[in-house]
Amino acid sequence: MSGLPLSVLIVDDELPARERLERLVAELPGCAVAGVCSSGADALPLVGKLNPSVVLLDIRMPGMTGIEVARHLGALENPPAIVFTTAYDEYALEAFDSQAVGYLLKPVRRERLEQALKHASRLKPPQLHVLATSTAPLVTRQHVAVRVRDELKLIPVKEIRYFRADQKYVTVRHTRGEDLIDESLKQLEEEFAREFVRAHRSLLVAVAHIESLERAGEEGYALKLRGETEPLAVSRRQLAELRKRLTGR
Amino acid sequence: MSKTGAIEPTAEASTPRTTLVPPPRPNASVAGSARVPSSPLDASLDAFFIPDFCAPRMVFAVVLVAELVAVTLALARPDAAFLSELARISMFLQWVGLTSAGLLCYSRRRLAALSVVKSSAAVFALMLLNTALISELALWLGTAFGAGGITSTLFPSEHWSFLLRNCGIAVIVTALLLRYFFVTHQWQKHLRAEAQSRIQALQARIRPHFLFNSMNTIAALTRSDPRRAEEAVEDLADLFRATLRDSHSPLRLKEELELSRIYQRIEALRLGSRLAVSWDVAELPMRAFVPGLTVQPLLENAIYHGIEPLENGGTVTVAGRVVDGEVEIVVSNPVAPPRAGAEERTGNRIALDNIRQRLDLAYGGRGSLTVDRQPERYTVTVRFPYAE
Repeated sequence: MSGLPLSVLIVDDELPARERLERLVAELPGCAVAGVCSSGADALPLVGKLNPSVVLLDIRMPGMTGIEVARHLGALENPPAIVFTTAYDEYALEAFDSQAVGYLLKPVRRERLEQALKHASRLKPPQLHVLATSTAPLVTRQHVAVRVRDELKLIPVKEIRYFRADQKYVTVRHTRGEDLIDESLKQLEEEFAREFVRAHRSLLVAVAHIESLERAGEEGYALKLRGETEPLAVSRRQLAELRKRLTGR
Repeated sequence: MSKTGAIEPTAEASTPRTTLVPPPRPNASVAGSARVPSSPLDASLDAFFIPDFCAPRMVFAVVLVAELVAVTLALARPDAAFLSELARISMFLQWVGLTSAGLLCYSRRRLAALSVVKSSAAVFALMLLNTALISELALWLGTAFGAGGITSTLFPSEHWSFLLRNCGIAVIVTALLLRYFFVTHQWQKHLRAEAQSRIQALQARIRPHFLFNSMNTIAALTRSDPRRAEEAVEDLADLFRATLRDSHSPLRLKEELELSRIYQRIEALRLGSRLAVSWDVAELPMRAFVPGLTVQPLLENAIYHGIEPLENGGTVTVAGRVVDGEVEIVVSNPVAPPRAGAEERTGNRIALDNIRQRLDLAYGGRGSLTVDRQPERYTVTVRFPYAE
């Protein structure tokens, strides 16, 4: 490590756990506590503001779990390295074992913490992106993160009307406007299979926001969404599936 | 012997009932067998497969069975007058039955010390001897009070054939009954062992999540607040002692509630102001018995599933009262918004099943656990008989 200390952000919903990690990190040479917070929702803006090298992230937190936080951080251009902390979470640990994601078991040992932080500090941005997204199969997010300059903006999935794929990006249309995200429509479809349905090759629509399915033109159909004036074209191939989802809701 | 025998026989006395009525529903028997260990005074007697014939219910069963056999035998002789035949056979069989029961009652303790084969052989010998003796007695009475007239039909005349036929019947009936007792006993033993091992396995499963989080809390407190760390260690020790205790000895309600409060204290250390528990248990009889770890796991569930997932926490309420001679304890918690992770539901069900099973073991179907799932609140109600 160079002269600059390794900055660490600590995220844990329990006060004693936060205090202990804070003390341990502060006592490690070459490390400094950049910030401490108690929830995933607080952590995301803090990462943008403090730009820490490593986030020590508790997995089991109320609201947004650590795993979801990690996924959102993956959307950043320079994501921090993530080291998960957990007291006991068989299911999460199993999934990480094959991946290079760091995790620490609470109560955390000083040596292990030192090792994990050192390892994390050596990771390069591309590796970090892989780490953050390697948690993808583990979680259905409740928010979708949008990068606005260096900060993350969270859009609740419930407010999203549709995802539309363009050449390189995916447009997220939601109740408060439109944003671009850097994810694939295919993965989004898999993750949100419960709430969203394909309308055509490049359009994924929230079932809950659909107002009606109407005839449009000669043989085509179009979807009307609540709060949207413009109808969305439906491909013939998706029509049957779409009908099924609409009657089943 | 007869004294202990008369006190302990709850389950054994229920065995002969099955000779008269159709076999009981399996779970009813589980309950019956589960109550057996109430007398730890004499384990070997408890484990003996021949029931205690000193128990009033057993004696009654013997009388009833003897009478049924008498009716059967009388019916099987169409050429004799039914009533006089019945009277003759009944008198004889009741003699045999009651004296046999008496013999078994007095020899049970000695028989229990033997192996299954040896004790069965001994029972055969006893029964044969007894039947032969009673048969001889009947013959003697027959000749002593004169032959001919009415008495000639009441008492048998062909000595050897009478004796041999009776011994034959005795052998068959004894064999059947021994087999019956043995099989029933094995079955009950099996059920009991199974229930016990399951309970122990479940009890051993104190939630690891809780254990490691508590350890972490203590690790944090040892430096920042050594005094509280010390208390937390003491609390944790008490809690684990209770978990490791013999599952059979019930607790006083006072102790169980104390354990729950200890648990709450440990959780409060890490959850802080997010956790509030409102106790409304002043009406509960603190001396009442409760199967160990009934209230505490409910509180644990309420905190794990209800409070922890809520960012701002919430209040768990524990309320208790006595209704119609039953203790009722209600634990309710706010419902957290659903999260990805169906595995948490299963964990909850295991804990509830565990409590249910323990209530079943302790009260034989008279304890109950019901769940009321509302959109806003999740409520579990436990009821069990009030016993001091």
